[in-house]
Amino acid sequence: MNKRTKIELAIVAVIAVILIFVLPALNASGAVSNFTINVWGKYLCYAILAISVDLLWGYTGLLSLGQALFFALGGYMMGMHLMRMIGDLGQYKKPIPDFLVFLGWEQLPSFWVPFSSFAFSMLMVIVLPAIVATAFGYLAFRSRIKGVYFSILTQALTYGAALMFFRNDMLLGGNNGFTDFKFLLGADVRDAGTQRGLFIASAIVLIAVYGFCRWLTTTKFGLVQRAVRDSETRVLFSGYAAANYKLFVFVVCSVIAGIAGALYVPQVGIINPSEMQPDKSLEIIVWVAVGGRGTLLGPVIGAVAINALKSWATRAYPDLWLIILGGLFILVVLFMPKGIVGLPAQIRGFFAKRKSTETPAAAQPSPTAP
Amino acid sequence: MINKLTKSLGALALAAGISTIAPQGANAQDTVKVGVLHSLSGPMAISETSLRDVLLFTFDEINAEGGVAGKKIEPVIVDGASNWPLFAEKAKQLLEQDKCAVVFGCWTSVSRKSVLPVFEKNNGLLFYPVQYEGEEESKNVFYTAEAVNQQATPSIDYLLAQGKKKFYLLGSDYVYPQTTNLVLLEYLLSKGVPLENIGGGFKKDESGKIISAGKYTPFGHTDYQQIIAEIKQFSAGGKACVVSTLNGDTNVPFFKEYAAAGLTAEKCPVVSFSISEDEFRALPAKQLVGQLGCWTYFQSIKTPANKKFVDDFQGWLKATTVDGVKKEGRVTCSPMVLSYNGVYLWKAAVEKAGSFEVDKVREALQAGISFDGPGGKVTSQKNMHLTKNVFIGETKADGQFKILKEYKNVFGEPWLKGTFKPKTAAK
Amino acid sequence: MRKFLCAVILLVLCASGIAESPKEVISKTVLLEDSEEQAKRVGALSGANPEELIALLNKWKEGGIFIVENADGTKVAVTLDEDKDAEDKQTARRLDTGAVFGRVVAADITTAETDSTLRLAMKSVLDLAELSSPDLKRRLQAIETMGSEQDPERLPALLAWQAKETHSRAKRAIQEAIALIQLKDESDDVKIAACKTLGELGSIPSQDFLKTTAKEANEAGKAALVTAANGALKDIAGHVTFVNTAGTAFRGLSLGSILLVVAIGLAITFGLMGVINMAHGEMIAIGAYTTYVVQCVFGPGLELSPFGINIKLPGMNATDWLYDSYFIIALPLSFLAAALGGLALERGIIRFLYRRPLESLLATWGVSLVLQQLFRLTFGANNVQVSSPSWLSGNWTVNDVLFGWNRVFVIVFAIAIVWGVTMLLKKTPLGLLIRAVMQNRQMAACMGVRTERVNMLTFALGSGLAGLAGAFISQIGNVGPSLGQLYIVDSFMTVVVGGVGNIIGTVISALGIGLLDQSLQQILGNPVLGKILVLAGIILFLQWKPAGLFVTKSRSLES
Repeated sequence: MNKRTKIELAIVAVIAVILIFVLPALNASGAVSNFTINVWGKYLCYAILAISVDLLWGYTGLLSLGQALFFALGGYMMGMHLMRMIGDLGQYKKPIPDFLVFLGWEQLPSFWVPFSSFAFSMLMVIVLPAIVATAFGYLAFRSRIKGVYFSILTQALTYGAALMFFRNDMLLGGNNGFTDFKFLLGADVRDAGTQRGLFIASAIVLIAVYGFCRWLTTTKFGLVQRAVRDSETRVLFSGYAAANYKLFVFVVCSVIAGIAGALYVPQVGIINPSEMQPDKSLEIIVWVAVGGRGTLLGPVIGAVAINALKSWATRAYPDLWLIILGGLFILVVLFMPKGIVGLPAQIRGFFAKRKSTETPAAAQPSPTAP
Repeated sequence: MINKLTKSLGALALAAGISTIAPQGANAQDTVKVGVLHSLSGPMAISETSLRDVLLFTFDEINAEGGVAGKKIEPVIVDGASNWPLFAEKAKQLLEQDKCAVVFGCWTSVSRKSVLPVFEKNNGLLFYPVQYEGEEESKNVFYTAEAVNQQATPSIDYLLAQGKKKFYLLGSDYVYPQTTNLVLLEYLLSKGVPLENIGGGFKKDESGKIISAGKYTPFGHTDYQQIIAEIKQFSAGGKACVVSTLNGDTNVPFFKEYAAAGLTAEKCPVVSFSISEDEFRALPAKQLVGQLGCWTYFQSIKTPANKKFVDDFQGWLKATTVDGVKKEGRVTCSPMVLSYNGVYLWKAAVEKAGSFEVDKVREALQAGISFDGPGGKVTSQKNMHLTKNVFIGETKADGQFKILKEYKNVFGEPWLKGTFKPKTAAK
Repeated sequence: MRKFLCAVILLVLCASGIAESPKEVISKTVLLEDSEEQAKRVGALSGANPEELIALLNKWKEGGIFIVENADGTKVAVTLDEDKDAEDKQTARRLDTGAVFGRVVAADITTAETDSTLRLAMKSVLDLAELSSPDLKRRLQAIETMGSEQDPERLPALLAWQAKETHSRAKRAIQEAIALIQLKDESDDVKIAACKTLGELGSIPSQDFLKTTAKEANEAGKAALVTAANGALKDIAGHVTFVNTAGTAFRGLSLGSILLVVAIGLAITFGLMGVINMAHGEMIAIGAYTTYVVQCVFGPGLELSPFGINIKLPGMNATDWLYDSYFIIALPLSFLAAALGGLALERGIIRFLYRRPLESLLATWGVSLVLQQLFRLTFGANNVQVSSPSWLSGNWTVNDVLFGWNRVFVIVFAIAIVWGVTMLLKKTPLGLLIRAVMQNRQMAACMGVRTERVNMLTFALGSGLAGLAGAFISQIGNVGPSLGQLYIVDSFMTVVVGGVGNIIGTVISALGIGLLDQSLQQILGNPVLGKILVLAGIILFLQWKPAGLFVTKSRSLES
């Protein structure tokens, strides 16, 4: 454990204490508004999602443009459970979700039935993204689709899925998706206490995911993973089944994204197919790139910073928001390949370079491991 | 974060009794906060910005005449950014942080559905101004919008009277078209139109009950060749028409293809429920001449009240200094007028109730309040909808509608499904 | 008594009809308020000189007749001459006498309007008049309407015209219309013969009528007629299947051509250069907006105010063929505009990222966001209106299969572009350099090729082709800030399936995807399911051929 890691861990510990204990306590006492807790709860879910993208992209070199799909799938599974929990309190006072009544259904379609169980739904939050990721990943990695092809194919995957979920025939609410949630585990979802609970849960999951990824990257597995990123061919020649490693990481990341989605949905109160459109995935990648890929703290910082910026800019300069986002992205790609986290090192490097002109620029794009 | 800061700062300042914020406190006595919740960015901004504009105009007009119950309206404008979760977040902000007495907003059904729980939880009041599918009745929403029986069924009546025998149902794949078409299917059957004369296809559930009628395309669909070929065959025998619930954008490729296939309004008219004067501005006018529309207001209504409204609004547009208001080429349309009516109805209800409290205002609204708006008299109903006049119009090359038919005082009925019984063995 | 009165009124009406020329009648009718009465008077006009009648009624329908007030407040119907001066004033002439009324501004006077009741009446008058019209299209329409109305009173007129008609399509239409009317005949034999004719003709419009006939015959227990009607229906169903198949093939071809036009630029930037340009869609949008601007310059001019800067482009107010030719001018300009955009993009950003394809994807996505917002700020968030020149709207129907001119044009255009690009790559010095650089950049550089310049030009070429695609898309769909987003996934798919670095592969894949999409749509009857299945199909296809249809052979380990 070097000095930098120690500093990082210390920062994480402080953040963990603030998120899990201090903020909720302040909220309970009224010093922090419910609104703020709610917004930050959302940011935390985004941060979890961003870590999953980074594990894929920063550590394994797989730029997936379909991560929003897994996020949305997890969200949908949670949403289905929440829809069942509304019971007969919907607009129609019928025991099935409103939109099904809309579409002329009188009985619950069979695939909806098991979602009345919380345990089953939580299992599906993990299992469904895993199944989709396994099926897609197996096919893709087996035929050695990589680099930009992988990105384009994942984009097609999420695009196709969004088209599918937009259809009302899917019986998943079509364009409107799920909304009007009422209860989760017997508690009123709209209640400040429940929201606080969800905030704490998101914080715990974030810290846990962080810990898990940190552990994973230090194992031998993590080394192979980075080796795949730097040169897959050499890994293959060394006798490793690179495809299996990639598949494993892809599935793990999809599960993490699914969990993030499941936590996100009860906090924002809606899930619909626009969450899985290709641009959403690209937006997550912006968070990671801005925060600093190839690190674990970077994506978290990026996700929170960009979303906070978005909340502010859409209010202050709604017309310029997209230009700010796009411009930021271009700048980061061109001039800050290591993102915010890598900025201090970059500045140091810049000055070092000015001091000793004989050493060539260290601006090689390969992201270094923490 | 920023909010939190300002709030705690404010609390600190209050505690210390700093006098500088006192006038602000006094000011708050004379104003009432009113929320405006529309998308000012993203794809829905095209339609919704006009509603923000007309709301600001209405507030100015009311404030100039002394405000609501002696209090000036202080608008709180937030941007839903065409992002449904964000709508819920912003609604929360309006109700919990800004404590708005009433909110005017939303366009799409999904945005309304996403804010509905927020309004119900905080017992807020939302005025919703855009035609919708019905099948909803919340005590926290006042629907100035057209219900299905104030737009879709009158159009069918009109088309039947014009001798149309075959109806092709086409829409964008979301809740409003799906529900409307199911209601229309029941309605057509009840009028003796046989099932084989209703085009677009059906989907049945296991028991053989029809659960979806009509053809649906996703948002942003560009390729209408196949559907047009189908309509061409469907209408080949004459006396056919198309009932379209296609959403704004997709109308361009649809009508371009429609015209290219040699279909015209005379051969097979299209009645569209989602094209108002405002949407018309972005459509190929030449190819739309003679197609039908149905709303509870058209800019071409020739009444003094409407003339005043249109002139005042145009005048306001010229004079306003609000950021981002487009000044040229503006028109008025039904959702705008229904927003306008909503503000005045709320004002009347507040003044009648003598209070800004939501429960009392609602009671006043439910007791029935009338307002003479630009589209004629509107009256609030017990079920939180509006009784209003319905107009059928046909499009002209200048983007306006020529009014063909008026149905007076149509009662807004949100619950229509299952109310029309099919005519059996009609001959 | 009442009969007598009616007769008198009728007489008066007839008398006035005879005494007054159509011009005079219409000048009076235009001024009436009640459209029912207007419809009645227009209806009474049938039988007058057809050419004059058609011209007059069409002028009215198209808003070419105006109402002005005399000094004494009485209203007069006028038409306007095409002699607009600087103040927009035109000469108004009285419709009935042709005498000059004065000079007026068109926007200030009332247009004589029509509504559907009136237009219906006009149509029936026009139909009869148009039966003898020299214009084939109008004649056909009139015949069709008569058939579908099944009015036995029209039979003599049709029979009389049948003998005179020379054009084969019109002959067929008359045959069809006569048979349709004969379905209403008293005699069963005539009906059966009519059924047979309709079946042989494969008449699609007659299906509904035949069904009614079959139903009625069934109820009346006329077995022979039922068999005849059902037989005809079966024949027609066979014809419909043919029409649908042929139609689907054509539509598939046209969709494929559109995919090809949008993807060919990408096939060059991505396929040949290996740059992932996510802003490719916005290059298409640049082309579409250029077309819009050119159209406005040919028309009424354009005023833009991006960032508060006012830009005013004067309009030429061209009409007719001159206005229609705007599209010809727009084509090269949209190529140029997008090529310049591409050039700037390459110089400004992409040239730093040639070794980092994944990052070029990200940076260009940023560019795409910025460009979209710039479009929004410049042209507004609304879609803009691009109208098609008249020679691109319309269609050509062969044996009931519809060929839209815009679609035919896209196909021809796609062929031209592919030919042009292939020639450029194979026969020109620049093409040679491009291929050299693509094959081995270092080696080419060693041989003295200025690879930087070749990159720049290649990228500009790819972007310019995207701009051309934009000019086309403006003719069939929306032109708005997010136009590009609609096509980006599709164009990437097309290039990847075709095999990167191969133009022919892109051609085959575009046509294949187009045909598959349209066939699935036809079979499933659902526009979205087809698209989803195509996407799934593409993902599976790439399992089988990971490098696409045509693989560029290479000995290098990592591409």
